Amino acid sequence: MTDHALSRRGLLRGGAALAAAAASATALSGCGNTIAQGFTGAPPASRRVNFWNPFTGGDGARMVAMVDAYKKAHPRNTLKATTFVWGNPYYTKLSLSAVGDRPPQVAIAHLSKVPVLAEAGLLRELREDELAKHGMTPDKFDTKPWKKAHYGGKLQAVPLDTHPFVLYSRTDLAKKAGLLDGDGKLTDLDGPDKFIDALKAMQEVTKGFGLAIASNKDPSTQFRLFYSFYRQLGGTPLVTDNGLTVQVDMAAAEEALAFIRRLATEKVVPTGSDGAGAITMLTTGKAGFLFDGVWQVISVQESKVKFDMQPVPRIFSDAPYACFADSHALVLPKASTEEAQRLDLSLQFCGSLLQSSAEWAAGGHVPAWLPTQQSAAYKKLEPQSHYTAAADGAVYDPVAWYGGAGSNLQVEVGDATIGALKGYLSPKAGAERIRSELKKLASVESPI
Amino acid sequence: MASTLGTASPQRASRTSRWAGPGLIAPFAIFYVIFLVGPLIYTFIAGFFNGSLLKTGMGDWVGFTNYGDVLADSEFWRTLGHTLWFTVLTTIPLVLMALVLAILADRFVRGRWFIRFAFFAPYVIPSAAISLIFLWGILADQTGPAFEVVQWFGITPPSWLGDPNWAMYSIAGVTVWWTLGFNFVLYIAALQEIPRDVHEASAIDGAGPWQRIRHIVVPMLARTTVLVVVLQIVASLKVFDQIYMITGGGPDGSTRPTLQLIVDTGFTDGRTGYASVVSLFLFLVILAFSLVWFAVARRNQKES
Amino acid sequence: MTSLTDGATTVTAPATDTPAAVPDRRIDSEKLFNRVALGVLIAFALLWLIPLVYAVLISVRPTSEVLADPSSWFTSNPTFDAYDSLFDKGNILYWYANSFITSALTTVITVVAASMAAFALSQVRFRFRQGVNMLLLAGIMIPMQVLMIPQFLTLESAGLLNTYWGVVLPQVPNVVAVFVFKTFFDGIPRELIEAARADGAGWLRTYWQIVMPISRPAVSAVTIFVFVHVWNNFLWPLLVVTDPEMMTLPVGLNSVQDAFGVPLPQLMASAVLGAIPLLVVFALFQRRIVSGIAGMGLK
Repeated sequence: MTDHALSRRGLLRGGAALAAAAASATALSGCGNTIAQGFTGAPPASRRVNFWNPFTGGDGARMVAMVDAYKKAHPRNTLKATTFVWGNPYYTKLSLSAVGDRPPQVAIAHLSKVPVLAEAGLLRELREDELAKHGMTPDKFDTKPWKKAHYGGKLQAVPLDTHPFVLYSRTDLAKKAGLLDGDGKLTDLDGPDKFIDALKAMQEVTKGFGLAIASNKDPSTQFRLFYSFYRQLGGTPLVTDNGLTVQVDMAAAEEALAFIRRLATEKVVPTGSDGAGAITMLTTGKAGFLFDGVWQVISVQESKVKFDMQPVPRIFSDAPYACFADSHALVLPKASTEEAQRLDLSLQFCGSLLQSSAEWAAGGHVPAWLPTQQSAAYKKLEPQSHYTAAADGAVYDPVAWYGGAGSNLQVEVGDATIGALKGYLSPKAGAERIRSELKKLASVESPI
Repeated sequence: MASTLGTASPQRASRTSRWAGPGLIAPFAIFYVIFLVGPLIYTFIAGFFNGSLLKTGMGDWVGFTNYGDVLADSEFWRTLGHTLWFTVLTTIPLVLMALVLAILADRFVRGRWFIRFAFFAPYVIPSAAISLIFLWGILADQTGPAFEVVQWFGITPPSWLGDPNWAMYSIAGVTVWWTLGFNFVLYIAALQEIPRDVHEASAIDGAGPWQRIRHIVVPMLARTTVLVVVLQIVASLKVFDQIYMITGGGPDGSTRPTLQLIVDTGFTDGRTGYASVVSLFLFLVILAFSLVWFAVARRNQKES
Repeated sequence: MTSLTDGATTVTAPATDTPAAVPDRRIDSEKLFNRVALGVLIAFALLWLIPLVYAVLISVRPTSEVLADPSSWFTSNPTFDAYDSLFDKGNILYWYANSFITSALTTVITVVAASMAAFALSQVRFRFRQGVNMLLLAGIMIPMQVLMIPQFLTLESAGLLNTYWGVVLPQVPNVVAVFVFKTFFDGIPRELIEAARADGAGWLRTYWQIVMPISRPAVSAVTIFVFVHVWNNFLWPLLVVTDPEMMTLPVGLNSVQDAFGVPLPQLMASAVLGAIPLLVVFALFQRRIVSGIAGMGLK
């Protein structure tokens, strides 16, 4: 019996400790209200805007600064920003939040995902007069993302930027490799052989690799690489008809994969680096070039090395210049009531973020907000202003319910590209795998 | 009837017990029906419709289309293969190591607190915390301790989580580390049921420690071992958390388990009909093993 | 020995006290074996602690040091900056509270519902008792994970997504809990029940005032087991909770990037914060928890 008594005391003690912990947690954060909502399912307070985004690292820090600017200007409104893990998990959360009747008022979405979200009925369509009330008129937006923000003839999103896939280069190393011209600019890298020669020259200097690129755990990066080359080769969008028809240009796909394989066989590119590792290679001088998204500019800048950025070189000239890009945009997930939608508050917040576009542009993104993009301050921003041209050749992900940022399409195509890079798929087999995987995705009846 | 029984109280007792039994069971039974039996029936039915998470209603009747699609989907078979392979890779070490370590630990009294804490502590840590430690720390490329240690031996380590040939072994290793404590504790509890005089008698007979373990202790643990194996297989077949958080099913889909296929198709893509059929097949696989568990539990009950 | 007493002793037996090795006839092989055994045990135990020690050590390294030398474990300037920045971001306190509330709620409801059902199956005679018993027992073969879609749709139509109830209710029908209770109740002397009944106590009163107070070992086993499982459940709350302030600790840690930041010390600090609550409870009540888990697992 003593043992029982002991156990009871033990349990009580444990319970009390946990209860105290929970109570102090409650008191500390003042979250009594939230906890009550957990029991009742009541919606949160009425002047509050919840804002979801998938930004981390430099992007995250900049977004926090932009959100803070809004908070300072509008102290009466409560804005709660939450950052989620990028990719499929983020979009799954977004659509489940609509099913669970608790979507955020404003969310970041990639324009490549907007058609999917709109088709699923998750977005509140926007009218130009509603936007105009908060100073957002069509003439103030870059035309390419603005057009892309429409679906079914209606505006679905407010574009924030364009963020192309670009080439980073270490100017100090490029100079040693004799790759700089008189103005300190990189010499012409266009064409497959010229590009590889340049990488070899760079490799002489680094004693490591010419170019770094992520392949481990990063199919999206490999998709961006493949898609840039594939479109330069005149390849058709991989799927058309909203994802129903697969249209892979097999010759172009094979040639793009063969070139990617060549980068590995010539040993100018590492075949086993992850995202962070690829950046470290550039910053530590183990590689002189890096293929990555513009959003890594802050990480590279922080390492204090001398570097420049430029659009992905024109390796192939079978078609108009192309490089992969996507855009971040602000969307208003459809709420069940006007009250929960908080249209005016939400649009006011969107307007405020666009006003802070200069901050966002410093993080590498080409601003969609023309007052910023055409400002003298932006033009002076280096190296961020060096790749504005890339936005003109920007090709977005193919439109399909299984497509867009971090999607199944990116993963399947990216995985096949990794296979070609590492050599366990021949370029031909890689192209065939891309086609068969896409056919499989396309044959599934769309759930939206 | 009443007159033969005579006193009032048994009569009252018999009358109330007619409703008392069902009444006492009702609260649990309601949960059981709403959240286990009902959903099981629903899963079966939903497989015949092309429902969508994003649309209301069951969707349209599609007959056996979903069944055909699932059976013809190489990805379904691939994930099932991963699930079974993971089960093999984890069950064997998790049972053998737990058995050996528990038998060794049973010999010592002092320091038992420490041993038990070391093995069992990981088990009470949420999978999310485990995943952070291994994904970004222990198994990180270039900088992680696992990478460094292998390098000491002059071998270039693979990318533990980035190489499709290694990722599943890495995940299995993390899982062994994480859940060994559970089986260890089951064995420790079972070992304590073995009367001390069994040990003493055989020691006096001159049997060495190794013989005693082989011929006396291990056979006495046979029933526990059956249970541990079955519980472990059933748990491993339901693997999701650590794979979802550490590799997301990659690289190149090489670690994606069936449960993730259900979550991806059902909740990310919203295809409830297809996901229901996959669920049903996974259920059948698990059922094959949990039937053994059921039999053990039934026998335990009969004996009590 | 019947498995009823197995159950009772598993749950109540003091765990540490009997010496295992035989003291009186020490053969050399015995000594040697013990030494090897001890060596193996300690080696494995240390190996098992390494990841936890690693996480703690890295979490107090300054970020700048980690960037300069990512593979070192130690620092001469330990700092709690990583923890500060995680708490600054605000949500983690909600998650602690949410995890505690959902785990406690599930535990209380499960203990009451399961013990009532077990009491009826064990002590009350009624029609179809055997059938109901079998039917419930068969439930151990139904894993919750294959039923997520219909469970999700049920909660959606009830408007319970993003509430505690959405996390709690589907986790209540834990069949093993019923049978842990039933095994324990089967061992209660019949005379005790009959005496209470003869005194005119109804079934409900007999259950609540006579049986439950002497069933603490079973209650504690079920409580510990259910609490730990709900606390650590990841997949289910991942699906039903999307509101960041409603998330449980594991889901928040995984899906909200603010929760773990990017520098390695922050990642490790968030792992430590995620691990701490149950680790502390476990360190304090180790024996009880271990026997509770074993008592439930061995059923």
